[in-house]
Amino acid sequence: MLILTRKTNEEIIINSEIRVKVLSISDNQIKLGITAPHEVEILRGEIYDKVKESAIDASKQSSQDIKNLPKLKINKLGNSL
Amino acid sequence: MKIKTEQFGEVEFKPENVINFPSGLLGFEKEKKFLLIKTDDDLFYWLNSTENPELCFPLVGTRVIDESFPLEKDFEAFGIVILNQDPLKITVNLKAPVYINQDERKGFQKVLENEKYLVNYKLFIE
Repeated sequence: MLILTRKTNEEIIINSEIRVKVLSISDNQIKLGITAPHEVEILRGEIYDKVKESAIDASKQSSQDIKNLPKLKINKLGNSL
Repeated sequence: MKIKTEQFGEVEFKPENVINFPSGLLGFEKEKKFLLIKTDDDLFYWLNSTENPELCFPLVGTRVIDESFPLEKDFEAFGIVILNQDPLKITVNLKAPVYINQDERKGFQKVLENEKYLVNYKLFIE
């Protein structure tokens, strides 16, 4: 891992086209501003990890699991809140 | 063309039925070509990789869960499903829906900012 020290308003540049700027720093939070080409997808790390893990789980299940699916109600969004 | 899938055995398809995901799926970025398979149950779809035929994701249309689910123009929205023998444990990823345009055979996945959409949303209730 490359480790760099930056101050507020300083930037790093990745691949000549992605700019990450430190906008503000408080006790346990920093605010970053990111400028990148439209096709570059930017996600919070923990969300990417969670979605990836969920996709791996999804790919491991079998259609046999729902062979004899009983009639159940769909959990409409709104009901569960 | 033919592939041998894990879930459905041998599946025959035309090249023009392949749905292209230029960015792949999150966690599966290298998988760019899929078939959307509909079986005779009226709820689930299957997104089966053509290059890696043992890879398959069950999907459910988000419409059945949320009529106001965010749509993209000309695309249908699906959630990736984690099946379970106990149907009450089946979950849908509404946080990162898969958008598919069946006419133009294009697809992509997107992460929604709205916190009401969960990665592991329960599909059924008693």
